[in-house]
Amino acid sequence: MTELLEAYRAIQTFLGQGGWVLNWILILTFALWVLIAERAAYYLFSHRKVFNDAVAKWEARPDKRSWHAAQYRTMLISQAKQHIEANVALIKTLVAMAPLFGLLGTVTGMVAVFEVMKVLGTGNARAMASGVSQATIPTMAGMVVAISGLYFSFALKRKADREVERLSDTLVQE
Amino acid sequence: MIRFSTKVRSLLMAGAVATLFAGVPAVAQNAPQTLDQLLQQVRRGSQEAAERNKQREAEFRAARDQQQAILAKAKAQLEAELGRSQQLEATFADGEIRLGELTGQLQERMGTLGELFGVVRQVAGDTRGVIQESLISGQLPGRAEPLDALAKSKELPSIQQLQDLWFLLQQEMTETGKVVKFPGTYVTTDGEQVQADLVRVGPFVAFTDGKYLRYESGQGIFVELARQPSDRLAAMTSTFMGTQSGYADVGIDPSRGQLLSLLIQEPTFLERVDQGGIVGYVILAIGAIGVLLALERIITLTITSAKVRGQMKSREIRKNNPLGRVLAVYEENRTADVETLELKLDEAILKEIPRLERGISTIKVFAAIAPLLGLLGTVTGMILTFQAITLFGTGDPKLMAGGISQALVTTVQGLVVAIPMVLLYSICNGRAKSVIEVLEEQSAGLIAQRADEEHIRDRAA
Repeated sequence: MTELLEAYRAIQTFLGQGGWVLNWILILTFALWVLIAERAAYYLFSHRKVFNDAVAKWEARPDKRSWHAAQYRTMLISQAKQHIEANVALIKTLVAMAPLFGLLGTVTGMVAVFEVMKVLGTGNARAMASGVSQATIPTMAGMVVAISGLYFSFALKRKADREVERLSDTLVQE
Repeated sequence: MIRFSTKVRSLLMAGAVATLFAGVPAVAQNAPQTLDQLLQQVRRGSQEAAERNKQREAEFRAARDQQQAILAKAKAQLEAELGRSQQLEATFADGEIRLGELTGQLQERMGTLGELFGVVRQVAGDTRGVIQESLISGQLPGRAEPLDALAKSKELPSIQQLQDLWFLLQQEMTETGKVVKFPGTYVTTDGEQVQADLVRVGPFVAFTDGKYLRYESGQGIFVELARQPSDRLAAMTSTFMGTQSGYADVGIDPSRGQLLSLLIQEPTFLERVDQGGIVGYVILAIGAIGVLLALERIITLTITSAKVRGQMKSREIRKNNPLGRVLAVYEENRTADVETLELKLDEAILKEIPRLERGISTIKVFAAIAPLLGLLGTVTGMILTFQAITLFGTGDPKLMAGGISQALVTTVQGLVVAIPMVLLYSICNGRAKSVIEVLEEQSAGLIAQRADEEHIRDRAA
């Protein structure tokens, strides 16, 4: 319990040092990982059903050769694709936003530093430290989030593409 | 003295001459009748005169003797006084020497004590400064006055004063280590005096429920900070005041109030926005337009996609959504062959797409423009800064601050606008794309499905 409390306090201190931008990065990170977790849950629990449903619907169709069959197949693939590709673009966007937030933190931190300089001059390095930490911590956090999210964003995109490909290979036209 | 006596003598002579002449008309009054009478009168007269002269001479001699006696007496007195003066001079010199000796002795004996009193005065002065500025005086007012007298006095301090100084130093030290809750007054931002329970943490920070206070040492009052530190820190004060025992978190200003007082000088949100200048307002205008456009798009697209989803499930064709309109084309061209039907469908879909994609590229452009404008603001701000440097040199950071603020604020504004625009673009694009996908890839399939079902139904009938 005390360790949890310590951790909580450490996070609070960290967030306090990083300024308000860091809170947004935290929200962004949370959203990003919720979406990634949603994708993981999809592949774990629902993907098989979506895939098999599409295959079953296609298999149930007696006619697999006509124009109608081709259109029906396209529809089945497209419907499955919407499930498979859901949120992938959003994840990519969130990953792209993370360094932008970092940059925002850098600039707001610099504003804080200059604000201190305006009041105390350049002599007081200790007073500027808070602004500098406000500038650097969000930048670092943004980078960390972007880099850690980047892998998942690419991996999910590749996985989605591959699954769509596999589905269209499975639904054989005669 | 001698000159004085000649003066007296000549005065006396003048008096004698005057009496001589005064006798003449008296003689003339009883004028003699005969020569003998005249002769006798003359003889008598001369005799009388001689007698009178003799008498006067005697008188003069007596007076002279008297004067001489006085003179001698005065001389003797002078002599005596001169003697006394010499004696006194000697005594004075003796006294001087003795005084010198004694002063030396005093200095010698006071030696370290003199230094001590100097130190006492200095310490009293320093302590006065510390105590006056100290937040603790807000709780215990009027402590600095006795020190004021001690620091300024030229006399030796009394034991009582020394003890007071010691006590005050000790009190300041003890109170520094204490967290105290005490009833007191503070002045709100509206200028009202409010009675409340105040908490003081050493000399570092004072607060009341949810508000941090600043100690105005000149007037000896607590003033509510016009701008409070972050909400998290403000909320800590409430929990801190609610805690009866053990430990609780609270924000402390180790600079004894300096950092908190700096908070007030931080510009407000609107002042900040204004620092961005024209470029800043352009960015904000773009942001406002972009957000409104994006919201309109999101709402429209959400409604559209809901209708499309309804259409996909429903059998009857509703013309209030793109998919319904595409299906309607099929219904109208039931008899046409497959290729014609495909062309007709493509045409119908192509007609729908621009309506779905409207505005989305604008949002994308806005998302791209905002940081570029921010960069523009940065550069114009830097130009202002360098102009200031050219004119005034780098000596005063305050003169450069305007340009630097503009540079940084526009960058912030550019990012603040760009970040949500990127997200909104992504959302709008996703929505539009999913509807378009339905139209392009699934409408034909739906038609095929319907045709097949109808075919089966026809055969069953």
